[in-house]
Amino acid sequence: MSLISGLYTSLSGMNAQRQVLDITAHNIANEATPGYHRQRAELSPAGVSTVAAVFAGNAQQTGGVDVVQITRIVDQLAEDRLVRESAMQAGAQTLSTTLDRLEAAFPEPSDNGIAAMFDGFWAGWSDVSSLPGDVATRNQTLERAETLVDGLQRAAADIDQIEATTRESVISIASDINDLTDRIAQLNKAIVGSANAANDLTDQRDIVMRQLAELTGAVARPADGGQIDVSIGGRTLVSGTISQHVEGTGGVLTWETDGSAVVAPASQAASLARTLSDLVPRYRTALDDIASSLVTDVNALHTVGYDQNGATGWNFFDPAGVTASSIAISADVLGQPERLAAGAPVFPGPVAPGAFDGEQARVMSALADLAGGPSSSYRSMVTGLGVEVRSATRRLDIQEDVTQAAYAQAASVGGVSIDEEMATLVASQRAYQASARVLTTVDQLLGTLIERTGVVGR
Amino acid sequence: MRVTNSMVMHSTLSDLNRSLGRLQDSQTELSSGRSIRRMSDDPTGASSAMKIRGELRRGDQQSRSLTDAKAWLNTADTALLAGLDILSKLKEVTVQAGNTGVGDTTVRQTLAAEIGHLRDDLIGLSNTTYLGRSVFAGTADGPAYDNTGTYLGNDAQVIRDVGPGTTVEVNLTGEVLFGSQSSVEGDIFAVLDRLATAVASGDTAELATEHDFLDAAAGRWSSGAATIGSRASRLENVEARNALAEVSLRDTLSQLEDADIAEALIGVKANENAYTAALQAASRVIPPSLLDYMR
Repeated sequence: MSLISGLYTSLSGMNAQRQVLDITAHNIANEATPGYHRQRAELSPAGVSTVAAVFAGNAQQTGGVDVVQITRIVDQLAEDRLVRESAMQAGAQTLSTTLDRLEAAFPEPSDNGIAAMFDGFWAGWSDVSSLPGDVATRNQTLERAETLVDGLQRAAADIDQIEATTRESVISIASDINDLTDRIAQLNKAIVGSANAANDLTDQRDIVMRQLAELTGAVARPADGGQIDVSIGGRTLVSGTISQHVEGTGGVLTWETDGSAVVAPASQAASLARTLSDLVPRYRTALDDIASSLVTDVNALHTVGYDQNGATGWNFFDPAGVTASSIAISADVLGQPERLAAGAPVFPGPVAPGAFDGEQARVMSALADLAGGPSSSYRSMVTGLGVEVRSATRRLDIQEDVTQAAYAQAASVGGVSIDEEMATLVASQRAYQASARVLTTVDQLLGTLIERTGVVGR
Repeated sequence: MRVTNSMVMHSTLSDLNRSLGRLQDSQTELSSGRSIRRMSDDPTGASSAMKIRGELRRGDQQSRSLTDAKAWLNTADTALLAGLDILSKLKEVTVQAGNTGVGDTTVRQTLAAEIGHLRDDLIGLSNTTYLGRSVFAGTADGPAYDNTGTYLGNDAQVIRDVGPGTTVEVNLTGEVLFGSQSSVEGDIFAVLDRLATAVASGDTAELATEHDFLDAAAGRWSSGAATIGSRASRLENVEARNALAEVSLRDTLSQLEDADIAEALIGVKANENAYTAALQAASRVIPPSLLDYMR
């Protein structure tokens, strides 16, 4: 080993430490970059061959240090878990938001909700039974019926609105998904084509992947050359540099290639699908059932009752409108308060009762307390909704904790610690200085050799 | 566990958010004065609250019906008291006519005329109205009796819902009070017509018969008055019970829905302290690093 080679040994040390400094600077600069994972220069003593080579001969350089590679420090298990939990949180969040909106359509308990409108309607009938001959009282009951009809229609319209918004969301997330899958395919291509380990590209792809998972619950599987393959519910979405597209028209996510439905695990897409296939139809049906039982129960009493003129057979609600959105006051009584059937038929007969009979109206007002009647069905529906909203909120709270823990676990390995970077900075600075000192020393030795030798006897 | 700066930031931020959320919750509770603002705040409690609100609204309605029922009964009662006077006067007149004997035609004529007047008074009473409606005519429109004493009403009951599961019949029909026109002796107006004729003609035997009928009519009248009185006292009971029930319902509703102000205030203060403390802690946790101690 020659003295000159010592120079190169020191140089390799200085080069290596400069790279370490570069990486440290990169880490510090990206300390707050979302999705960034810290990198580390892997150093290894130079001239050590891992391959036993008979004909390799002696290594030219037997000392010094070599930067083997720049490693991205990542706990893949923790990262995968974070992606999964993020997807679940996005799903829980979407569901909770939708349920909140659904709950807002039924402002209970209050004096302005549908329950109060029901009570006002029944009380109107009770008033008619007290004053069957009073047109003002009869008109008041008709107006209260209008209020109730409006209330039911508005709640139905709110549910329709939630459905429409959800359908739009499905369309918009479909285009987001297509955008993200294209980016993953592009990044896959860039990663495979890059000469060095493409740490920063991988970080970027992880961010995109996490967004995609939040939307669809997609999972990634490592593939050749640092690429990833992405699939949703077992079906491939991205394979290397080829990405599949989805469509969201009609409120259902479908594969563009064959039009079959995308089966998304817990995620935003799954929650939207659940909103459209379960929540909206379920509460719409419940509300329609209430409207239908209101129409049926009231008409059953009203058609057999007698009005002020002794006529019978009038419908109070239009029998054709048995949903919350189509419920309407029938043309028989609309604007004709004298036709409210306050009088109960007199048996045996039946014959018309006296003009001032309010008995049928009184029986009508007692529908307020009918078990399984419209008022009590409404109350149980709203209570059920409250329970569902509460449990969704709880699930979201728990999921937030779990996601937070998953984040902490991933960040614990991959995050940049300023303290650590500072320590590395100091260490590599010292190492650089020391290498430089060695270089100077070797230089002095050479100087001594060149300048001082061979001058004996001069 | 390796702890990094962004982890500290992240968890501090999420803790701060949560703390601020709790502060907001307790402030909303205090400013709205209600602990249940939406169904999901407490589904079980909110469901009870809805039921109680419904019962209170029904209670309002029932107390309106109860006021109406009381007015009906009072109107009938007043008429019945006046009627008792008329009936006792009629009996006096009948007795007087019996004592007068058959001799004095003028006196008999006068007495017969008085019976006629009292009969008209009774017809007037039979048409007593409340809010324009004859209280003794059942559910029929118009007066209960016409001038000839023919019943125009029907025998329908008028019923009011006055409390939870409590109904009260508020009317007495003409037939119950004045006697049935289809009975042997006819109603009281028929009796009085015959009585007037008997007095005028001095038919003592007939007079005695009609006097008995008059007694029977007075008996019906008194029992009618007693019925009305007992219904009125029942209404008083129901009213008192309703008032008690309302107080207890309002109390329960308030316990369910309303925020306990003292508790809410303490909650706000405690959450405010927690939030301030979290902020202070955050301001100390975040900045320092090795960087601060290097030259």
